Amino acid sequence: MRRREILGAPLLQLSRKARPPIAGGYVMDGFALGHRLRDGGRFEPARQTTKVETVIAGGGMAGLSAAWWLLKKGYGDFVLLEMEPEAGGNSRFGQNEVSAYPWGAHYVPVPNRKSPLVRELFEEVGLIENGELNERHLCHSPQERLFLHGRWQYGLEPEVGLSRQGREQFARFEEMVAGRHATGKWTIPHALGEVDGKLEGQGFGAWLKENGFDAPELLWYLDYSTRDDYGSSITDTSAWAGLHYFAARDHDEKGPFCWPEGNGWLVRRLRERAAAKIRTGAVVYRVERRGAGWRVRSAAGDYEAKRVIWAAPSFLASRLVEGAPPALGFSYSPWVTANVTLERMPKMAASAELAWDNVIYGSPSLGYVVATHQSLRTHQEKSVWTWYYAMAEKTPAEARKLLLSASWEYWRDRVIEDLSRPHPDIAECVSRIDVFRNGHAMVRPTPGLLGGEGRRTLLRGLPGLYFANSDLSGISIFEEAQYRGVEAARRVLS
Amino acid sequence: MAIALFLSVLLIAACGLIYELIAGTLASYLLGDSILQFSTVIGAYLFAMGVGSWLSRFIGKGLVQRFITIELLVGLVGGFSSSILFLAFAYTQAFRFVLYLLVIIVGILVGLEIPLLMRILKDRFQFRDLVAHVLTFDYLGALGASLLFPLVLVPKLGLVRGALLFGIVNAAVALWSTWLFREQLPRHQGLRVLCALVLLALGGGMFSADYVMAAADENLYSDEIILSRQTRYQRIVLTRWKDDIRLFLSSHLQFSSRDEYRYHEGLVHPVLAALPTARRVLVLGGGDGLAAREILKYPHIEQVTLVDLDPEMTSLFSTHGYLKQLNAGSLTNPRMRVINADAFVWLEQSRDLFDAVIIDFPDPTNFSLGKLYTTAFYRLLGHHLSQSGFFVVQSTSPLFARQSFWCIVETLKAAQFQTFPYHVYVPSFGEWGFVIAGRQPWHPPVTLPAGLRYLTVSNLPTLFDFPLDMTAVTAEPNRLNDQALVRYYEEDWKKLTH
Ligand SMILES: Cc1cc2nc3c(=O)[nH]c(=O)nc-3n(C[C@H](O)[C@H](O)[C@H](O)COP(=O)(O)OP(=O)(O)OC[C@H]3O[C@@H](n4cnc5c(N)ncnc54)[C@H](O)[C@@H]3O)c2cc1C
Repeated sequence: MRRREILGAPLLQLSRKARPPIAGGYVMDGFALGHRLRDGGRFEPARQTTKVETVIAGGGMAGLSAAWWLLKKGYGDFVLLEMEPEAGGNSRFGQNEVSAYPWGAHYVPVPNRKSPLVRELFEEVGLIENGELNERHLCHSPQERLFLHGRWQYGLEPEVGLSRQGREQFARFEEMVAGRHATGKWTIPHALGEVDGKLEGQGFGAWLKENGFDAPELLWYLDYSTRDDYGSSITDTSAWAGLHYFAARDHDEKGPFCWPEGNGWLVRRLRERAAAKIRTGAVVYRVERRGAGWRVRSAAGDYEAKRVIWAAPSFLASRLVEGAPPALGFSYSPWVTANVTLERMPKMAASAELAWDNVIYGSPSLGYVVATHQSLRTHQEKSVWTWYYAMAEKTPAEARKLLLSASWEYWRDRVIEDLSRPHPDIAECVSRIDVFRNGHAMVRPTPGLLGGEGRRTLLRGLPGLYFANSDLSGISIFEEAQYRGVEAARRVLS
Repeated sequence: MAIALFLSVLLIAACGLIYELIAGTLASYLLGDSILQFSTVIGAYLFAMGVGSWLSRFIGKGLVQRFITIELLVGLVGGFSSSILFLAFAYTQAFRFVLYLLVIIVGILVGLEIPLLMRILKDRFQFRDLVAHVLTFDYLGALGASLLFPLVLVPKLGLVRGALLFGIVNAAVALWSTWLFREQLPRHQGLRVLCALVLLALGGGMFSADYVMAAADENLYSDEIILSRQTRYQRIVLTRWKDDIRLFLSSHLQFSSRDEYRYHEGLVHPVLAALPTARRVLVLGGGDGLAAREILKYPHIEQVTLVDLDPEMTSLFSTHGYLKQLNAGSLTNPRMRVINADAFVWLEQSRDLFDAVIIDFPDPTNFSLGKLYTTAFYRLLGHHLSQSGFFVVQSTSPLFARQSFWCIVETLKAAQFQTFPYHVYVPSFGEWGFVIAGRQPWHPPVTLPAGLRYLTVSNLPTLFDFPLDMTAVTAEPNRLNDQALVRYYEEDWKKLTH
């Protein structure tokens, strides 16, 4: 060491106390594989061909639900091919030394009285016992809070500083929603009811304007809701979809169901049931006609099958499945999720306790969900928070460009910046930020998608091949994924 | 000779700094806000030294005699400074006044010392050397004192004795000076006697320092904090007023030693006396060991399992002399099994079965604590309760938090238990409520253990009678996903304070 360095060392120590660095990186990055599929890249030809009656391509909720139904009905001659190392798709989860945490879907609302499939599964896995909802798995109090005007309030509808006109508009909106719910046509899954074609063809933003809704708090709240549920802004969402979220639920009991690993809790149970049938790391790169049946070519070998359930996203089919129609009108929203590991909790405001879902008014993000919320402990020192961001303010193509070019450090800084508003000391609490970027995370219910030609052809399917991804419903939620999966399974069985 | 002279400079300087440090430390210790206290004490002290230096010009004749008198005064005032400050804080309202008065007196006297000394020595040395040497030893003394103070003085001697010790040093320098400057002192005999008197006084102070501290303590802490500890989970504070010891957990009163027997007898005996065959009892919360004390009065109880979150709480109540006396050493009794765990999680993992469960959790002031009062919690508890067993829940006040109390009753009913609510008057709390729950009817006990101070076989059943202002009101049960109780609790207590 030279003398100057020796002299300099104590001076250097005078500089600002350094924060412990935040670890992390991108996880489950699927871009390379996705692009290879899109560009018709080459895959090793298989050494063996297996005969099986049915192949399920794609092991998200839809594919797993198809498998669940087939097995329930005593049908075992099938395999499920999933390209990722683990099945689950958008309901996948992770786990570290602090907690399990979701990478995508994180809750299921209390099922409606007329959602028979959801109820059937929930009874089977103990979420409903003797007709009663299992309290342990219902989201504990407090469920939600909103950071608004520098303080937290319980509930997501802005209340603090709301004008009289705003209050009236919230009330009128609720009334309109209740009226629609009362018709019985707004159901989940929506195929059990009726879709109002006029509303479906119109943008939600335009509909709100037409009906005299202009209070900024209400518009923020509804835009937050469509971004949260569909990944799209109120302008890109159909009025039907915008209303569906509110009008299709019974709201009898305080929910939703949620778990540390999010809907991964359900994935675990479905995976257990179908364990013997699931092949992972088995990307399907080509599906060809073979006589009256199909030849499914995958990284886990070729399969000759009479029937195929295409539970992977529908837009992939036109590239991978012989004779499949293009998914006309389908667009997908890109999402970023970050799992933030906290070594200690930030200082908490007195106005409202940490909730399960914590939303920041006016932020482009959707806030964060607390993975340890369902813990029965009275004291928590560490936690994992899942930060959600649907890139709705850009077109999907622009957003994907950013996804491809931005470094992990970019997201780290955005997460910290966003969380710093309600939690100024957050940077000192975080030890790790893992980031998952998903270019085609969920279908966007754009105006006209449901009534469009593209969807109608896909619904019909091909001879012996049935489409089952939740995107066919135009809205990406657990109940629709399950419904589509089971519907395809029923067609296999019939 | 020269060395001896400069050594006394060093000692004087050290004493001066020590008094300043003592004043600053005591002020920040007793008043808090150490930045403010230290800044103002140092400022006042330095200013007073300036005043002293300036005043030195008015001293004309008899320099040595004056110097020695000043030394004695510094020794006396500085030496007793911390005793005076402690007592002033404990007994008067005028702590700040006394503080700055002392700081200024000592500062002026210390400010006089060095100029006088320099003038006394000016004929013995060249002026150049004199200034250099005196200031060098002055600063050296300051360095020594500043190291000695935190490393030795405070930890080994404490503030009271530390100040007295340096008072003695001051007086010793004075005495020594009567020899050093004897040619310049016409009548040193009287001065020596004076020195001896001051030394005696300070020495006496050293001996009686404990009495001073005890006297100060007595008053300092009357109805004040005798123990305050921030643990991982809560703030534990014990206060005393005369013979009344109170425990606060995170600012909520847990008990007052004057009437806690009412609370704990009321909590434990209605259930346990009605279960003459009970062998195994579980206590949830209650880390103070007071409920356990009551439980151990039954010789047929073989084992008491106590689950409390905070290990510092249970260890405090197992070791602290007075607290151990209060709970009759229950936590260290061989029949006790003390477990530090989060109750809900522990119940979920445990497979033990109990004949009786005593639940003494803090009030449901927030959603985290509210979980411990939910249908889910009581259902789980049911799995750990023997078929004929009972449990009892401390259920806040049916008078002040009426809806909260009846919400707990509703919750227990929703969890499929029969409920038997009752209440006890505990003066420091007011009317307090409890609920017994079980799978079959509970009947009042026909005997009670000996040595109770509140309950009798005949007054016990009357506790189950509710006056009109405490009778049942409608309430939703408290569920994990809809914690009505926390809402009620907040509303109930808000009503009371508005
Ligand atoms: C960030 C985020 C949050 C969400 N939150 C919620 C929520 O809280 N609640 C809710 O109900 N819904 C939520 N959703 C919606 C979620 O998409 C659905 O709940 C459901 O998981 C969709 O399941 P799916 O099976 O239809 O589609 P996917 O999950 O997309 O499943 C498709 C599967 O196919 C696989 N695959 C694709 N191509 C191939 C190939 N070539 N070969 C083999 N396999 C392939 C994929 O790896 C994937 O596993 C969320 C979605 C996202 C993105």
